[in-house]
Amino acid sequence: MGSTTKTGNGITKLTNCRLLRGDELVWDDLWVSSTTGRIVQSQAAFYDDLIVPNDVIDLGGRIVSPGFIDSQLNGAFGFNFSTVLDDMSLYDQSIRDLNKKLVQTGVTSYVPTVTSQTSALYQRVLPHLASSSASSSRDASSGAESLGAHVEGPFLNPLRNGVHNVAVLRRATSLADLESVYGAANLTPSTIKMITLAPELSPETTKTLIPALRSRDIIVSIGHSNATYEEASAAVSAGATMITHLFNAMAPLHHRNPGIFGVLGGLPSHSCPPPYFGIIADGIHLHPTTTKIAFNAHPDGLVLVTDAMHMAGLPDGRYPWRNGTDDNWILKRGAVLVLEGRETTIAGSSTLLINCVNNFVKWTGAGVPRALGAVTATPAAMLGLSGKKGTLEPGADADLVVLSDGDEENGTTDLAVDEVWKFGVRVFQKRKKA
Amino acid sequence: MRLIIRDDAEAASAYAANYIVQRIKEFAPIPSNPFVLGLPTGSSPLGIYRILVDKFKAGEVSFENVVTFNMDEYMGIPRDHPQSYHTFMWHHLFRHININPQNVHILNGNAPDAEAECLAYESAILAAGGIDLFLAGIGEDGHIAFNEPGSSLASRTRPKTLAYDTVLANSRFFDSDIDKVPRMALTVGVQTVMDAREVVAIVLGARKAPALQKCVEGGVNHMWTLSALQLHPHAMIVCDDDAVLELQVKTVKYFKSIEQVARSQGFEQSLPSKLRTRNTNPSINEPLVTTNGTANWSTNSSTYTPPPTIHDAPQSALLAARYPIPVERSKSPVFDSMSSRIQDGPVFVGVMTPPDELPDQGYHSDGSMNGSLKGHTNESSERAVENSNA
Repeated sequence: MGSTTKTGNGITKLTNCRLLRGDELVWDDLWVSSTTGRIVQSQAAFYDDLIVPNDVIDLGGRIVSPGFIDSQLNGAFGFNFSTVLDDMSLYDQSIRDLNKKLVQTGVTSYVPTVTSQTSALYQRVLPHLASSSASSSRDASSGAESLGAHVEGPFLNPLRNGVHNVAVLRRATSLADLESVYGAANLTPSTIKMITLAPELSPETTKTLIPALRSRDIIVSIGHSNATYEEASAAVSAGATMITHLFNAMAPLHHRNPGIFGVLGGLPSHSCPPPYFGIIADGIHLHPTTTKIAFNAHPDGLVLVTDAMHMAGLPDGRYPWRNGTDDNWILKRGAVLVLEGRETTIAGSSTLLINCVNNFVKWTGAGVPRALGAVTATPAAMLGLSGKKGTLEPGADADLVVLSDGDEENGTTDLAVDEVWKFGVRVFQKRKKA
Repeated sequence: MRLIIRDDAEAASAYAANYIVQRIKEFAPIPSNPFVLGLPTGSSPLGIYRILVDKFKAGEVSFENVVTFNMDEYMGIPRDHPQSYHTFMWHHLFRHININPQNVHILNGNAPDAEAECLAYESAILAAGGIDLFLAGIGEDGHIAFNEPGSSLASRTRPKTLAYDTVLANSRFFDSDIDKVPRMALTVGVQTVMDAREVVAIVLGARKAPALQKCVEGGVNHMWTLSALQLHPHAMIVCDDDAVLELQVKTVKYFKSIEQVARSQGFEQSLPSKLRTRNTNPSINEPLVTTNGTANWSTNSSTYTPPPTIHDAPQSALLAARYPIPVERSKSPVFDSMSSRIQDGPVFVGVMTPPDELPDQGYHSDGSMNGSLKGHTNESSERAVENSNA
């Protein structure tokens, strides 16, 4: 028998709580280790290692969810990832600040997203956005963690540019085109986790580019695209596994030309499952029932994303934004962001992922477990991180959100982020009301 | 034997759980003198475990200095299999309470040498000072632990084949696929349970009623292994109303009445003081095999070698030496109230019955007598008293 480590084993037991397990909230305990940063197989720890937890925390019946994953985040708290600074150490400092603030919203890991930009900008910023697990230690005090960058462009359809600057959009026919834009060294999954592209721009995109990216474990997402159902299906067959903010920046469903949305109904060949798809449930980008239709079409594929800009968490006002070759201004009015001068086009969101979860619960009636799954297990699966992120199974990273559901004083049933844990350490606790 | 009957399963479980908590508190265990508890699995004890957990959470009891020994474990399924008894105990009890994992003993159904594992288990029980209270359940065929019908009542911890009925009954936990049900288990023996200073069995539901009847009203019989409890000096069966369906009304009334009398006298179900604390030399079940120098035996130790005395001595002599017939009597009238009513010799002072007609055996517990003298002698003795008073 091993030795009992009664003190300093770093294990905390969370008890009297409801754990998100699949499509259910289950009354159960959860053991997490701050030493390994992972969720502990408690029965084995007890019988094999003779371990009992250092601490026991009674959560008073609250919900424990895996930490939220935001698969599309352009920036927050005043910092946008599409920013070049003369001194890039300030860029790193800004990311560190952002990580510490972002984690307090329940987002414990995210995919930093860079919009369509010049090659120079990509090559400057991408190394700074690489997956932090690749480089740094698993340090809970660092806050939220990058899972690798998402480059949303520039190989997008100019007809579906949204607010992206058409001047920087390009067409790719070979991997060399991608390397010349992003930098060859950055075209690895630890740096570029995901690429959004429009598959219809060249025949080579579907024929060679998507398979080449897949073979490098880089996720291909269809977005800012005018693809037909047939073109989108071909891209999915070739290896695209995601659709970037479904409905936004693409052709709407037409009954004789279902477009990209049609892929949710399955491929003509049934050769592979329908792709995952991002949904911006901020209450501005999509009508509630649109979200519900997409969810019902392919419930296991829905990934809630914020597509938040750097104004998330800031007051209303006029904020600068580097957009390709231009410096634009974004106006924030409440939750709505628009580009100054083109005020009919939405310029990303300023929402938090927890708000999207609450909206999703209200709009679809799908229940809290499904809504939480859309920001945990589903994005983890989309990112190829099943079993590591987005789950409370033993061995997964102990990134947790403790949620209260319903505040009788305020008469709300909304979920609220009470505590956030990163790598088995509590890094945020909401202040109790006096 | 004490038989405690409660209206329903919840009340019976609460009684047993309260009793265990009371025993632990009276014992006041400390690390050098822990309370040693034997534990069952299965559906019967679930309510007890739930209440024990509640009581622990309410701060009513601590398991810090409680040592546990489980009855049995399947062979050939992974330890953390959903149906393993390791998993059962973890799920229903251990993870909720402050028990020290070093104090937990469960047979290793995957031990490379099952025989050695079982011998080591017996030794570990001895090293812990013997079991103070063995909680038990009962199968529909009256089995205790995996001691299926026909098991030796002198059996000790050993590998055991499971009866076909048990395999069939357990298949519901294994995807209803009989091929997935383990056919073997490691289990403590009937004698292992009997060695405990006290045994508490929980029997719930009408399906257990025939077994309870056999074990309480029938004779000691290896086809109903729980019936061995009849030979235990401090056995208690706690059951619900459904479980007594097959008992005679007389039996039920008898056990209810003596519980009532005991309570009215303030005895409740308490044990002799020595057994309550084990602080003095235990009079019962004193280990024959000394554990000096072998206190470090562990059930998982690969270097363990079983003590030779267990094998070499004849079993009967061993048992006789280790388990002398207890001479101590309970301070409670409950344990031996049946025998205490048996008269040793003539007690009659009346004038109506000649001495040569006295019965050999005397009174039954209900005051009646054998044969033709039924209802006769009590009245005569009472009359005699009245006469003398007159």
